[in-house]
Amino acid sequence: MRKSKVFIGSSNPELGRLVCDRLGVEPAPCTLTKFSNGETSVSIGVSVRDEDTYVIQSGSSIVNDNIMELLILVSALRGGSAKRITAILPYFPYSKQSKMKKHRGAIVAKMVSNLMVMAGVDHVITVDLHSSQMQGFFHVPVDNLYSAPLLARWIRHNVEDWQNAVVVSKNPGGTKRVTGLADMLKIDFAMINTDKRRKPYRPSRPTYSRSSSMAPQEDNSAFAITESEFITARIVQGRVVEEDYSEETGNDSGQMSESIISIMSATEHALGGTVDAEVNSSDDEEYPIEAVKEPADIERIGREAAIKSNPTDKTITLVGNVRDRTAIIVDDILDRPDSFINAAEHCRFFGGAKHVVIVATHGVLSADSLNSLENEPCIDRVVVTNTFPIDASKRTKSKKLVVIDMSSLLAECIRRNHYGESIASLFDKAFLE
Amino acid sequence: MKDLVVLGGSSHPQLTKAICSILNINESEMSLNKFSNGETSVTIKDSVRDKDVYVIQSGCGNVNDNLMELLIAVSALKTASASKVTAVLPLFPYSRQPDAPYRKTNTGYRQWVAQAGTLVADLLACAGTDHIITMDLHDPQFQGFFDIPVDNLYGKPLIQRYITSSVANYQDAVIVSPDAGGAKRASVIADALGMDFALIHKERKSTKVPGKAAPLMLVGSVHDRVALMIDDLIDTSATVTRAARLLKLNGATKVYCLATHGVFSGDAIDRVLQSDIDKVIVTNSVPQQDTKVRLGDRLEVVDISPIFAEAIRRIHNGESVSMLFDFSSM
Repeated sequence: MRKSKVFIGSSNPELGRLVCDRLGVEPAPCTLTKFSNGETSVSIGVSVRDEDTYVIQSGSSIVNDNIMELLILVSALRGGSAKRITAILPYFPYSKQSKMKKHRGAIVAKMVSNLMVMAGVDHVITVDLHSSQMQGFFHVPVDNLYSAPLLARWIRHNVEDWQNAVVVSKNPGGTKRVTGLADMLKIDFAMINTDKRRKPYRPSRPTYSRSSSMAPQEDNSAFAITESEFITARIVQGRVVEEDYSEETGNDSGQMSESIISIMSATEHALGGTVDAEVNSSDDEEYPIEAVKEPADIERIGREAAIKSNPTDKTITLVGNVRDRTAIIVDDILDRPDSFINAAEHCRFFGGAKHVVIVATHGVLSADSLNSLENEPCIDRVVVTNTFPIDASKRTKSKKLVVIDMSSLLAECIRRNHYGESIASLFDKAFLE
Repeated sequence: MKDLVVLGGSSHPQLTKAICSILNINESEMSLNKFSNGETSVTIKDSVRDKDVYVIQSGCGNVNDNLMELLIAVSALKTASASKVTAVLPLFPYSRQPDAPYRKTNTGYRQWVAQAGTLVADLLACAGTDHIITMDLHDPQFQGFFDIPVDNLYGKPLIQRYITSSVANYQDAVIVSPDAGGAKRASVIADALGMDFALIHKERKSTKVPGKAAPLMLVGSVHDRVALMIDDLIDTSATVTRAARLLKLNGATKVYCLATHGVFSGDAIDRVLQSDIDKVIVTNSVPQQDTKVRLGDRLEVVDISPIFAEAIRRIHNGESVSMLFDFSSM
C-alpha cells in the first residue's frame, strides 16, 4: 500500500503485528513510553505528511492509558500533517457505558467518541460494537465489522454435529446477535432470561432435579418439550438449583465458601452481563459503592456487598429446546463469568444439553474469569477472538480456551479502505469461506 | 453558599476536604470506581440540576486514570444538567509539553512529538468543562490553548510569605533559578522582596556526551550566603539536586528549594535525601503525605486550600479573582 502507514498501539501488539503481516507492510516506527510522572509520551519516527495513516489500538486492563495513548498518537499524526487518520479499535473501550443510567451517570462511550473525533480521527473501524446504535455517537464514518462469519466458520469446523446444535442467547438483549449467527448457520436458537422477580411461569409445571436431568427420563423430557418450551429454575448464591430448593440447605457454611466467587460477582452483574440499550436497565444498577482503585478492593467490596444483601435469588428460564444437543452460548463480550456459568448450568442440568460451548467476540476475561470457566464442569469450550489481548500465560494455562484470529478481517478492511473499495462484502457470510 | 456544589476526584481527597471546610459546605458525594476490566465508572449521588459545580482533581499519581476520571465526571455532570462545570486542577496534567514539536534522532530524522498539552486542553473542553482553575502553569502561553476561560492562580504569594516569615535574615539570601527557563519566575520574587538574584545555566555549547548531563554554570555569587532555589515543579528532582551541588561548591551556606508542585516521581525522593538540599518547600497541589514521611523535617508543605477556596468563592459569586494574584491581599 503506497502512501500509507500503520501504527500499532501498545494495547494489543500481537494483533497489530498479525494485521501488518497480512497487509505485507512493516509497522510504522513510533515510540510509546511513559514518563516517570505517569504521563504518556508519543513520538513518531517517520514522515506522515500527506499519508493515509491507520492506528490499531484495542482496550486492555489499563484501558485509560490505552485511550490516552491513542488520543496523543492521533493528535501527533494530525500535527505531522497526515492526510487521513483511521482509528482501528477492534474492541471499543467503554462501549458498555453507552446509555444514561438512572441517576446522573455519564454516557462515557459518547464522550470517548467525542474525544477521538476532537483529537483528529477521520474514520473509525471496530468489531461487534456492544450496541450498534453507538455509531450514531460519531460525526465521522464508522465501520462496525461483524465477527459472525469467522465464528460461524469455527463452529462449522469444530463443533461435532453442528447442524443439530442450538445457539443460545444468555439474555434477551443479546437475542438479535444470536439470531444472526443462527441464521448464518441455519440452525435453531434458544434464549435464557434471568429474572429477579420470583414469579412462577405456570401453576403446575414439570419439575426437574439435578440428578434426574443428568440422566433424563424419556417421558419426563418429552413432556417438557411438548407441553411447554419454558424450563425454569432458580439461582441461589450463584448456583442454579431446582425450583423447590430449600433456602436452609443452601445457607450452610460449606455451600457459602464453595460458591463465594460466584456470589461476589452477582452484585456486579453489569460487568458480566450484556444488555442492549433498549432493554430495561435492571441489570445495570449494581456497582460497588466505595471508591476503589485496586482490583483486590473491588473483589472484596463486591463480596461483602453480596454477602450482606444476598441478592442472588433469581429465576432463570430457558426458552427453546437444547435437549441432547450442543448448546452454543453466544454473547459479544465475555468478561465476568457468572452469567455464562449460570446459563451453562441451566442448559446442562435442566435443559439436558449434551455439550455447552461459550462463544464471544471480545474475551475481556478480567480478574480470574478464565479460571472460573475452566473449573466449571458444565462448560466444554470457551471461544473468543483476539480483538482483546489475552496473555500468553492465560492461553497456555487454559485447556478450554480457543482464540480465533481476526487479523484477516481487519487487514482486509484496511486494504479496502485504503483503495476506496466497498467493504460491504466483509459483512457477508460467504466471506472467508 | 447557594447552588454551589464541590466534588473531589480520587487523586487528592484531602485537598477537597480542606477546601470544603473553608467554604463551610458539605462535599457532595460522587462514587468513583473502576470495573474489573479497568474502565472507570463515575456516579454523581446528589442532584446537580442548575447548580454551579466544581470538580477538584490534580494531575498526579496515575495521571491517565485521574484524567479520564475527571473527563467522565465532567461529562456526567453535564449530562445531569449542571448549569456550569468548573474543573479545578491544582497541578495541570501534561502541562510540560515540549517547545518544539519534534525531537532529533541519531539518524538525523526529526521525530514528531505529540503536543499533549494542547490535546488535554481540548479534551477538557470537549467533555463539557466551562471553566478551569489551575495554579502555576508551566508555560503562561498554555492559557491560550483553551477555548474556555482559565484562571491561573499563582503560588508566588505563598512562597514569598514563606521566605519572609521562615527564612532568617532573608534579605541577605540569594534567589537562584535552577535553569534559564525559570529565570523570570525567580527574578520576579527577587524583585518583590528586594533580594539578590543568581542563575544556573546549562552549558549546551560543548558537544554532548551521551548519558552524561550537560555541565552547569553559576551566574552570580552565593558565597557565604543562603541560596533559595525557585522552580515551578520538582519532578525527577535531577535539575535541583545537581544545582544544589553546584551551589554548595560555590560556597552557599544553606540551600533551600522552593517549588509550587512537588511531584517527586521515580526515585526523586532518594535523590533529594542524598543531595545538598537542606530544605524542600512545596505546596500540597499534589498529596505530600508519603513524601513527608520519607523526607521528614527536610520537607515543608505549604497549604494551598485557602487560595483555591477563595477562588471558588469569588468565581461562584461573580467577584474579581485578580485580587488573588496580588501579594498585598495575602
